[in-house]
Parts: sequence; C-alpha cells; structure tokens
Amino acid sequence: MKTNTRQIFSTFAGVLGVACLSLLISCAGHQQSAVDPAGPQSGRIDTLWWSFFWLLGAIFVIVMVLTLMTLGRRHRGFEQEPLEATHKPSEETDSRLRRIIAGATVTTVVILFVLIVASVGTGKANSELQNKKNPLTIQVTGNQWWWQLEYMNSDPTKILVTANEMHIPVGRPVQIRGISNDVIHSFWVPNLNGKRDLIPSHVTTQWMEADHPGVFRGQCAEFCGLQHAHMAIWVIAEPEDKFDAWMRAQLQPAAGPSTPELQRGRQVFMNNACVYCHEIQGTTAAGQNGPDLTHFGSRRGIAANTVPNTAGNLAGWILDPQSLKPGNHMATIALNSTDLQPLVEYLESLK
Amino acid sequence: MRTGAMGICVMCLLLLAACQREKRDIRPSPTRLAIYGDAAKEDALRPGGPISPQPVVNNPYNGSAYDISEGQRLFNWYNCSGCHANGGGGIGPPLIKQHWTYGGEPANLFDTIVKGRPNGMPAWGGRIPEYQVWQIIAFIRSMNGEQPRSATASRQDSIETNPQNIVNRVRGKTK
Amino acid sequence: MLDGVSRRPARHCAKYWFYFALSALILSDPMAAQIQNQADDGQWTMAAKNYASTRYSTLNQINTTNIASLKLAWTFSTGLTRGHEAAPLILNNTMYIATPYPNYLYSLDLTKPGAPMKWMYQPHPEPASQGTACCDVVNRGAAYWNGKIIYNTLDVQTVAVDANTGKEVWRTKLGDINLGESITMAPIVAKGVVLVGNSGGEFGVRGWLVGLDAETGKIKWRAYGTGPDKDVLIGSNFKPFYAKDRGTDLGMKTWPGETWKIGGASAWSWISYDPGLDLFYYGTSNPGPWNPEQRPGDNKWGSTLFARRPETGEAIWAYQISAHDLHDYDAVNENILLDLNIGGQLRKTLAHPDRDGYLYLMDRTDGEILSAQTFGYVNTSEGVDLKTGKLKLNPTKQTGYNTVRDACPAPPGAKDWQPSAFSPKTGLIYIPHNNLCYESQAVPANYIAGTPFVGMNTRMYAGPGGNRGVFSAWDPVQAKTVWSINEMFPAWSGALATAGDVVFYGTMDGWFKAVDARNGHPLWQFKVGSGVIGQPVCYKGPDGKEYVAVLAGVGGWSGGVVSGGLNAVDGTAALGFANAMADLGKYTTKGGMLYVFSLP
Repeated sequence: MKTNTRQIFSTFAGVLGVACLSLLISCAGHQQSAVDPAGPQSGRIDTLWWSFFWLLGAIFVIVMVLTLMTLGRRHRGFEQEPLEATHKPSEETDSRLRRIIAGATVTTVVILFVLIVASVGTGKANSELQNKKNPLTIQVTGNQWWWQLEYMNSDPTKILVTANEMHIPVGRPVQIRGISNDVIHSFWVPNLNGKRDLIPSHVTTQWMEADHPGVFRGQCAEFCGLQHAHMAIWVIAEPEDKFDAWMRAQLQPAAGPSTPELQRGRQVFMNNACVYCHEIQGTTAAGQNGPDLTHFGSRRGIAANTVPNTAGNLAGWILDPQSLKPGNHMATIALNSTDLQPLVEYLESLK
Repeated sequence: MRTGAMGICVMCLLLLAACQREKRDIRPSPTRLAIYGDAAKEDALRPGGPISPQPVVNNPYNGSAYDISEGQRLFNWYNCSGCHANGGGGIGPPLIKQHWTYGGEPANLFDTIVKGRPNGMPAWGGRIPEYQVWQIIAFIRSMNGEQPRSATASRQDSIETNPQNIVNRVRGKTK
Repeated sequence: MLDGVSRRPARHCAKYWFYFALSALILSDPMAAQIQNQADDGQWTMAAKNYASTRYSTLNQINTTNIASLKLAWTFSTGLTRGHEAAPLILNNTMYIATPYPNYLYSLDLTKPGAPMKWMYQPHPEPASQGTACCDVVNRGAAYWNGKIIYNTLDVQTVAVDANTGKEVWRTKLGDINLGESITMAPIVAKGVVLVGNSGGEFGVRGWLVGLDAETGKIKWRAYGTGPDKDVLIGSNFKPFYAKDRGTDLGMKTWPGETWKIGGASAWSWISYDPGLDLFYYGTSNPGPWNPEQRPGDNKWGSTLFARRPETGEAIWAYQISAHDLHDYDAVNENILLDLNIGGQLRKTLAHPDRDGYLYLMDRTDGEILSAQTFGYVNTSEGVDLKTGKLKLNPTKQTGYNTVRDACPAPPGAKDWQPSAFSPKTGLIYIPHNNLCYESQAVPANYIAGTPFVGMNTRMYAGPGGNRGVFSAWDPVQAKTVWSINEMFPAWSGALATAGDVVFYGTMDGWFKAVDARNGHPLWQFKVGSGVIGQPVCYKGPDGKEYVAVLAGVGGWSGGVVSGGLNAVDGTAALGFANAMADLGKYTTKGGMLYVFSLP
C-alpha cells in the first residue's frame, strides 16, 4: 500500500510541476500577460491573482495530502461488518468530529470571505482614480472587427481619431470610455487592466496607467462574430515627451503625395470604393465606416493587427481581404496591378 | 416503414432548405456574378409582340440570410438610408411600395443602383462591387416581402420604426 | 399708442397716418423713419415684402367688415406637383411666379382679364439636383432689381431674367451638386448686391453666403459658415456681443480635425437688410451631421445669427444660438427688423422666432439679447441666460447614441422656415408654427460626397395637445403670446398682415384662412385644391382693387408624405417627419395652383 501512495504522490507532484512551469513560460516577459503587470491596476490584479494562487494552492495541497493520507490508511477489510453495527463512537470522538467539521466550515467561509473582500477591494480600487495627475481620456469603439480610438480633449482641435494602435504616456492615468457600434465586444489589455465590455448605446469606463514603457497586446475578450480572434490592439506606453511628439504628428493632416507614383496612388484611392469607408485627413475622403487611414503607414499592423504592416501584406489585404480574414467588412474590389502598386505605396507613405 | 422513410426524406429536404438560408459566400469575386444582359425591361409595351423566352436574372443571393443582413449593413454604410430612410423614403422615393418607377425586378434594381436614374438617384457603378449591389438588392426585396420569411430579420438594429413595418418584414413571402 | 406702434384699430389708412403723424409730433420721434413703417406702393417686389421682412401691406380695402365677401378672382396652374413655397412677385402690373424644380419663372399680365401668361422662362437645372435637396425640391421665391427678376435654381445657380422680355441676362454657377449643395432660398438685393446662400446642412456641405453683382452676376465675395476667419469674412470690425462668440478662427477651432470642411452651417433661408445701419441679417443652418457625437465642440458658426455688410460681406457681429446643436435647430428663420420702445428707450431691434422655440428680440446694432421667451412648447432647454447669451440645455434631452424620447420641439423646430408677418398697426408678430415632439437615436453618419450626412434615426409626433400646428400672435414688447389658433397640421405657410387688420395664412389640409389681426377670430376661409405651404401676398391691381394671392401645392419637408409619395409605414421616412404626417394624404393631394382673391 505504501508504494501505491508514493506513486500517487509523485504523479501529482509531476503534474503540478509541469503546470507551474508552463505558467511561468507563458508569463515570462510576454506582451500579453496578466501576470506581467505594467501598471498599478494590473499590479493589483497580479497581487490578487498570486494571493489566490498561493492561498488556494496551499489549500489544494493540504486537501490532497489529507486525502492521500486517508487513502493510505490501513483499512478494515470488506469481510467485516459495517462500522455502525458494531461500533458506536464514543461521546468524545463524536464531539471531536463535530468540532473538526465546524472548524473546517468556518475556515472555508472565512477564507472565501477574505477572497471576496480582496477581489471586491481590487475591483473597487481599479475602478477609481488614485493618480489624479492630468488624466487622458480615450474613447474606444468596438467594431466588427477592429478598434476605433478617439483621444478626447476639451479643445476639439486636439481630438485625435485613429485605430488599432493606442499610444499612452507613462505615468499618466488613462480613462477608457468604451462603446460599441455593433455587437458586444470586450476591451482587454492584460498587462494594464482587466476586461471591460463595450456595449452598443451604453458607455462603460475603465482606468489604466502604465508605470514603465513597453508594448502590450490587447485582444477582444467577448465573442463578437466570425473574426473575433483577429481583433487585436497594440498599446504602446512611452515617455511623456515621446507621446507628445507622436500626438503632434498624428494630429497633422496626411502629407500630400510627393511623387507622381504617390499622386497616382491617391487618385486610385479616391476613384475606388475606398473613399466610401475610409477617411484620410487632408484629402476629400471622409468615410466613417472603416478605420481612419490618415497616418496608416505609421501603424504596426493591418486588419486589426492580424498581420504586420508591410507592403506585401497590404497588397494582399487590399486585393483579397476575405482570404486573410474571411467575413470581414472590407469590400473585395477589382483592382489591376498597375493600380495596386501605387495605392500600396501611397498608403504606406502616410506616416 | 414507408411513412418512416418518407418522413426522413422530408426532414432531409427541410434540412437542405436550412442550409440554403445559411449559405455564405464569404469570398465573393469582385468581378461579375450574374450576366444580366438586356433583361432589365422598364416597360410593358413590346412592339411586334412579346419575345419568348424572356431572359430572367435571378439575384444570386436570393434567400440567403447572411447576404440579406450584409445588404442591410451596406444600405446604411453607403447612405442608401440617407435618402430612402428605413424604406419609407424622404429625399428619394420609398422602397416599401407597390409601384416601381423604373421596375422592381432584381435586374431593374441592379440597373438603378449601378447606372443611377436621372431624377436624383446617384450612379454607384464602378465603386460598389457587384456582389455588394446584389446584397443590397436582396435586402431591398426583403423589405417588400420578396424574400423567404425564414431568411429575413424580424427586427432592425436602429430605432423601431412602426409596428406595421415590422409585420411586413416578418411576413415575407413563404417559399 | 404704444411707443409709436399704434395698437388701436384704425378704420382706414388716413386715420392711421393721422395717428402716426400725431404720435410722431408728440414723441418728437422720426416715426416714418422707423424701419417697420416703410413706404408701400401696393407692389410686392421681394419675398418678404420689404427689407425689414414685415410681410405687411398698407392696403386696407379688404378689411374685417367686408372680408366675408372675398371671392376667387382667377387661378393659374404651375403644372407641377412638388411643394410650392414661393411668394409671387407683383410689379408693373405683372406677376412673377418662381416654381419648385424645374424652377420655371412665369410672367402673368395683370392688365388683361384672367391674367394671361406673358412669357415663361426655363432655366433647365440639372435633374440630378433633385437628389441633393433634403426636403423637397422647393423654391421660396425671387427678388426684383433694376429691370431684372433674380432667383435661384436647385442646381446651385443664380439667374437674372429680364422682367419685360423673359430673356436671361446672366447666370452664375455658385456651387456643385456633387458636394451635396443646392439652393432653395429667395435672394434679396441690397445696394446692388444679390445675397444668396446654399442649402445642404443634411449633406455635409460647407455652408456659404455669396454676394453677387446684381448687374453682371459676378461673385463679389463669399462668406463661409465654417473655417478660418478669413473664409468666414471675420475681420477687425467683428464685435460679437457675448464673450462666448469671441476669439480667432472659431469656425475651425470648435471642430475636431477637418470636420469643419463638411460641417454644414449653410444659409438656406431668409435675409433682412437695414439700409440705415447698412447691415444685413441672416442665420446659418445646423452643423452637420445631426449626430452630435461626431462633432465635439461648439461647431461654430452653425446655428448662428450673422450681421454683415452687403458690399463686402464683412461680419460685424454674430450670435450663436445653439452651440453644438443637438436637435437640428437651424438659426435660419426670418429676422423681422423693428424699432421698438423697450424699457422706455427706442431700440433698433430684430425679432427672430427660432427653431429652438424662443423668440429672440435682439438689439440689431450689436447683437445683445433684449428678451428670449418661448412661443411654443419647449423642453429641450430651460431658458436663455441673458448675461452670457447661452441656452440652458435640459440634460435629459441631449441626443446621442442613447435613445431620447419626448424631446420638444422636434428637428423642424417650434417653427421652421415659414415666415411670420408683423403689423405696425397692432404691434404683433403673426407666427405660423409647429407643435411637434420627437424621439431619436444617433447612428454613425458616413460621409460620401453628394449623399446625405445625417446619422440620426428620428420619429416625430404631435406635441402636447395633439395639434401639430399653431398660428399665434406675439407681442414683441411684452414677450408673450396674445392669441393663438390650433391647427391639425403644422402651419407651414407664410403669414401676411394687412392694414385692413386681417391676417392671412394657409393650412396643409388646403384651407386658405383670414383671421382678425387683433384677436384671431376667424373671418373667412376658402378651400383650395392642395395644401398651402406658400407665402400669401397682397397687391393693388391695375384696376385699383386690392388682391390677395397665394400658391397652393403641398410638399416641403412636412408634406413630402404626399408630394414625394413617401411610405409612413416607416416612421423614420423624411427624417422622421413622415411619422407625424401619416394621415396627410387623407386630407389633400398634390398639385401647384395659384389662387387670387378680391372683393366682388
């Protein structure tokens, strides 16, 4: 019997070890991880997560040890008569049993209560603004399947509209005002905060703050249709001065085409269905259905960061968007190669 | 035994009908889907007597719930709703109606959208790809109960317009 | 006598002038110089009758005692079936009628029995322009200047036609239908400058008003409704009364990004002119799109009153009535210029019954608000702060992606374009207006040049009381309603006041009515062939008799259900107006016809 117990023990320890290792691998310095906090909000969640992990892990271990001890105990053999028939527990054993059960129940309730308090406390702390220094408000609109970002400002000329790539200044609190244009989405950048649903006709808010520079990946966390998996966002936390420079550049209208090739590219854009859905400030294109492309060339990804923003990927995306991301709302238009090349060059030139 | 087999057959057929409703062409070709030729007649008068057989053009997206809903989205995206509202009209004529100035057959609607009409209907041809035109037509026909009930949405996403409108949508024409 | 404005019933003109002269003597006030008391030769040479826009005729042959015998004299069919909003012009014993698209101009000879047609002018506007007119293909009339009839076509052109021969003198293209522009307004000519503004607040146009040389049609200046100061023609002489309207380049800085380039603020309606101050007054339309979430900021100069110089277009003052407009409250309604005694002082005022439901009485020299009281039911705001000039908005009725219900007045406002009249005899303003509420939900508006840019699903219905229209008399000095008449449908026609103490207006169910100017008692009515949305006028015929003329022909935004054959099963049709007008078809059919009345 002893060998049996040991076998169970070693298997259990092995499984636990592998689980811990995989957990460590998944979080070590990754751009999309809840256990690699980059700000006070995610820090709180991280603390909460690890307190849960260690506390519940300890309980799990204790329960397992006790279970195994029970399994390992010498048993009476099946031929014996039922316990109740022959053996009445003494008064003393009975009350000891009762005390143990009551103690376990009370401990469980207390532990659960502590966890609830910790969880609610974390949620409450995360929903409030501690660092009141000059907050930045960004309206995040969920669309099938991309993110629209609108940097709010009481001065309307400083309002910036962009998509799928969010720049935030380090050390400055950011309020996310979430809303959706179609179905329910959920905004989740695990390195910065928990999830927040984006609901049609209803504004939800969330605070986040990055305490060190970094590039973090976010992802829609509420199933929202065919391309839910390809709805990613990059959040780039950078020092205040770098952020300001980025903001200044983004607020500029798109540069005019400097070469005949780029000129031709702009013409192709204006002559096709592109203008029905996309806006390029500085031109007459002011479509609102798709992402703003004023500074498209400066962004890291295309199709809500489904693929990196390279000329090759872009050409493929324009020619056959339904192959890269089936079911998405970008129209498949007939373009010949003499039009495609200048169009790609023009869009990539919009830095 | 026989009734059982019949039952299974009927069930299978029904199942197939359901497939039709959910059929999705999610990689449509940007090029021509249907050859409409001179099918789009706007007038009933045929000098020299009628020609037979008449060419008929069917909307490739007839009866597809997915394409009707895509058509509804595009109806708003391309500002059709700006003039035709949610079917009742305004700047442009209503689309929920009995009489069509330029014909109400799919081929006529295709011509209307692609070529425009002289009294204010813009010509969208060359910019909106043809498969989207057909999707919009599928949606317009659904407003008039010209699509199977099973494929038509019972409500729209915007502010509800009028109970009668919803009844019209839901009723549709059963296949 | 109330401060130079006779409030006593005067039987006939002589008596009136006697009182007039007497009060002038007593107050030692140059009464005749008061802007509302302009000389009247019995003609009608601009849509608003005179520069002060009083729509008041000193003719008094038809009066409260004999109006019961008013009879139809003759009629004339325009041959068109869309909304007829124009005022006919009468001069040199000729009547001129500008029609809706295709913008015919008819000339009728009043010296001959039955007023036969002298000539007809056809400008052949681009048919596609019908797709860029937000609210029916109407035209609001012409203006006369130096032997020419000048008016606008739907496809953004101004034409001048020889008043005698019907030959085109000049034609100027002012804009582009492919940008969603159109023109429906009646121009005025001040100091030899034709003033014309574009329509298209629902199409993402950039609004403007141009000054054209009346002799050649050359564009002298263009004042945009949005953009930098140099485009809006704001210079060093620009002195708005309220701090909220001061600053540089506000037409650009109160918009996000480049949205001001497609921000509306067109000038599609009335213009008044004060020759003494050499200022003309007009209001701009709503900022576009309707969806306010797409244009954070004050959105200047949308929904704004402007005072400008006619020769240069230079802005002298401006007052934005609705900053960051939430309900399509254009500020385009007529500005009636009145010299009134306010608080013991004769003030040069301007009375502006706005879409937002307030009648703004302002000092027209500098734009100070003297009073702003509601003339209809209003719950979208809770008053106007006279210190700051700001409208106090009701936070529960702010439109956006949330659904807002029971907001009053609805987008056509407590009053739309339908112009009021002012009688110096009674001192009252006669206001045809609406009683409509609505529910709305914003949706993202997509901009495609040449197509609508609205982004709001709306549904309108009758306001409190269930009547959709009201015709009321307003005392501008006391700032209150004196009497009012409820109408089933919105009172969408213009008003006409005469020295016979009779006030005329038409209803959409086809009644042309006359009421007592003093108390609103009904005096006479006549059922015309179609709903009336035109502007009644009054003139002295070659036979010396007084005639009253009005165009019938239902249509416009309110009448689109009938003239455009809309389907009210969809309550959002016609930007939600169809929902409130679903039963109009039971009361009237379409068809444009001129009706002329006189005493037997």
